[in-house]
Amino acid sequence: MRFLAYASLMIFGTFVSSIAQVMLKKAAMKDYSSHFREYFNPTVIIAYIIFLGASFLGILAYKVVPLSMGAILEATSYIYVTIFGVTIFKETITKKRIIALLIILSGIVVYALG
Amino acid sequence: MDFDVIIMNDGAIMKNNKIYVFFSLHILLAVYSLSGICGKLAAAFEVLSPGFVLCYGGLLFIFGIYAICWQQIIKRLSLTVAFANKAITVVWGIIWGYLFFDEAITLKKLIGAALVMTGIVLYAKTGDDLDRDEGGVEQ
Repeated sequence: MRFLAYASLMIFGTFVSSIAQVMLKKAAMKDYSSHFREYFNPTVIIAYIIFLGASFLGILAYKVVPLSMGAILEATSYIYVTIFGVTIFKETITKKRIIALLIILSGIVVYALG
Repeated sequence: MDFDVIIMNDGAIMKNNKIYVFFSLHILLAVYSLSGICGKLAAAFEVLSPGFVLCYGGLLFIFGIYAICWQQIIKRLSLTVAFANKAITVVWGIIWGYLFFDEAITLKKLIGAALVMTGIVLYAKTGDDLDRDEGGVEQ
């Protein structure tokens, strides 16, 4: 039960960092007056602060979650990125992509059982 | 004929360059995987204790390097290839976990990891299809 709580914390951290990724992508789609503005604008700065928070959540999770499981759980980011892609960026989702996500999910479950 | 030579040379240079970028990508991903070690070490310390700050600082330093170098690499390599190769971080996680934190490697874990990596590579590959279908531009 304790393990599940910490694993969920890591998954939540991954979710949060996916939000930051979306913000960076949104920021990258805009035109800026200078290189300085490209990096130092509210969206990018907030995105990096969110990344900071997400990395902190990851560390907390590592109190219980094994290191080898970190990268495995981080693979859930592909699920969030797909959801954000469809809802925010109006990207199409293909059957192949859903299959890929299901394979990732099944891998996480098999790994967790190991 | 001179023209042909130029084209051939150009092709050779580009090919070499690709291998160089690909190699750099894998060095970068290996370095990035070290951030996991920092994170796992930080977790053993009390929050804001000197040990914690040192390890967390190391993690953020690696993140910074990664963010800068990743941008440079995806300028020179297709996003699909870059993302597909990111799957290797799963392998690094297992190796570092085994070497530094006595984490057991079991058959189920290896199968699970292989599935996750397969999924990541497939996912990245379908990005290629999407780009072609929509005539999209790589970011």
